[in-house]
Amino acid sequence: MSSISELYDVSWEEMRDKLRKWREENFRNSEQIVDVGEELINEHASKLGDDIWIIYEQVMIAALDCSRDDLAWSCLQELKRQFPDSHRVKRLAGMRLEALERYEDANKLYDSILQDDPTNTAARKRKISILRAQGKSSEAIRELNEYLEQFVGDQEAWHELSELYINEHDYAKAAFCLEELMMTNPHNHLYCEQYAEVKYTQGGLENLELARKYFAQALKLNNRNMRALFGLYMSASHIAASPKVSAKVKKDNVKYAAWATSQISRAYQMAGRGKKENKCSVKAVEEMLESMQITMS
Amino acid sequence: MGEVELSCLAYAKMYLHASQFPRCSVNGLLLSSSAAGGAVCITDCVPLLHTHLSLAPITQLALTQVDVWCSQTQQRIVGYYQANACASDSSPTPCALKIAEKIFEQCNNAVLLMIDGEKMFPGCRVPPIVMYERKDARWALKDKHTIMLRQWEETCSIVNQLFSSGDQALLVDFDSHLDDITKDWTNQKLNAKIMELVSPANGNV
Repeated sequence: MSSISELYDVSWEEMRDKLRKWREENFRNSEQIVDVGEELINEHASKLGDDIWIIYEQVMIAALDCSRDDLAWSCLQELKRQFPDSHRVKRLAGMRLEALERYEDANKLYDSILQDDPTNTAARKRKISILRAQGKSSEAIRELNEYLEQFVGDQEAWHELSELYINEHDYAKAAFCLEELMMTNPHNHLYCEQYAEVKYTQGGLENLELARKYFAQALKLNNRNMRALFGLYMSASHIAASPKVSAKVKKDNVKYAAWATSQISRAYQMAGRGKKENKCSVKAVEEMLESMQITMS
Repeated sequence: MGEVELSCLAYAKMYLHASQFPRCSVNGLLLSSSAAGGAVCITDCVPLLHTHLSLAPITQLALTQVDVWCSQTQQRIVGYYQANACASDSSPTPCALKIAEKIFEQCNNAVLLMIDGEKMFPGCRVPPIVMYERKDARWALKDKHTIMLRQWEETCSIVNQLFSSGDQALLVDFDSHLDDITKDWTNQKLNAKIMELVSPANGNV
């Protein structure tokens, strides 16, 4: 089997830089990280300098994701040797136990970190992840709420909580979490769009109007967000079709839906140009838009 | 109740879908190109989502588009599949039951298929699926003997071949299509590759 550097004709520096990019952008492409990282560690360790420790950490986590306990273990040993009393390394050891489904042992490790340092957020979050892995959603939600009372600015935690609430069909609370996220990240089109989806799911005229507004906001922030475009189309169509709205509201929403339709058609026509493969999906969208227009007018 | 036949194509794509997103719950629709009545032949499937399965807008959108595509290609939606993120729990979620219920309104021998994550390992001798059918106003476990998976060994080997050739990465679900609309959620390319591997001597596997 040829090496990554042979296969892709890359130097060790390029491999190292790729790993850094994935690290900084928090990608979870674990198989790739393992492939590139393992080769880097085995062949070029001496050239990496102090970077090697953070690479060991990155590769170890990716290895756990790919069930490569052999690789994870050897990375962990290197880190333990270099940083014998580190809480950060202890947390990695805990993650390995989690991957092996030894949750009690993992919890003991995290509890010992928290005894030493009660403000250690990483250990607390791992404990919540264990609850999630065990399917104990209500406990995970409770713990996460407590955590957020103390660490109100933790975006990752707010998002995790919104996901948990969505899974439990508690849309009102999910919306609350997304509102927090939108407040602190007003330029993030994904939060707007997710909030709109939750509102749409809650249903009722008021929520549909809110949904439409936030789909529109998401589009303002990123006009290529197809989910927001379709969402705008669907919410406007539903409002226009409702018997409870005034003539003006109906007229406005018919206009919004028509605008969305033209944008969707345009996007699909551009996508379909010259590509035989997606002719089917393009045709399906065209017919869907046509049929929904008929029911609306 | 009735017999259900699951084709190699449908099984392979479901399996690939679940494997592509091991940390997420995934779902999709089961299709049939044969006429209604008699045994249910699941000849194909459309992988739908791997995020926010229980949120309405994208699910509604996907169902509508698949409906349209089915009428264009003489297929019917005959069932729904889901694989839970938590591999040890293969019970149908409220969302799964809701969608299956909707499908049942149009197709009275609709099936609900849950993928059993714990049985998805190489060398497992049992198909990792649990099927439910509508009986007495609820979804009940289907008798295993009424579920046909022709040429099981061959199906497994085809799935393995797809993994070793890297073709499993060709699978596009509806979610991925929305991220990049040049990707084809009807998976024409992947379907062709799978049908190539299904040996002609075995007829309609």
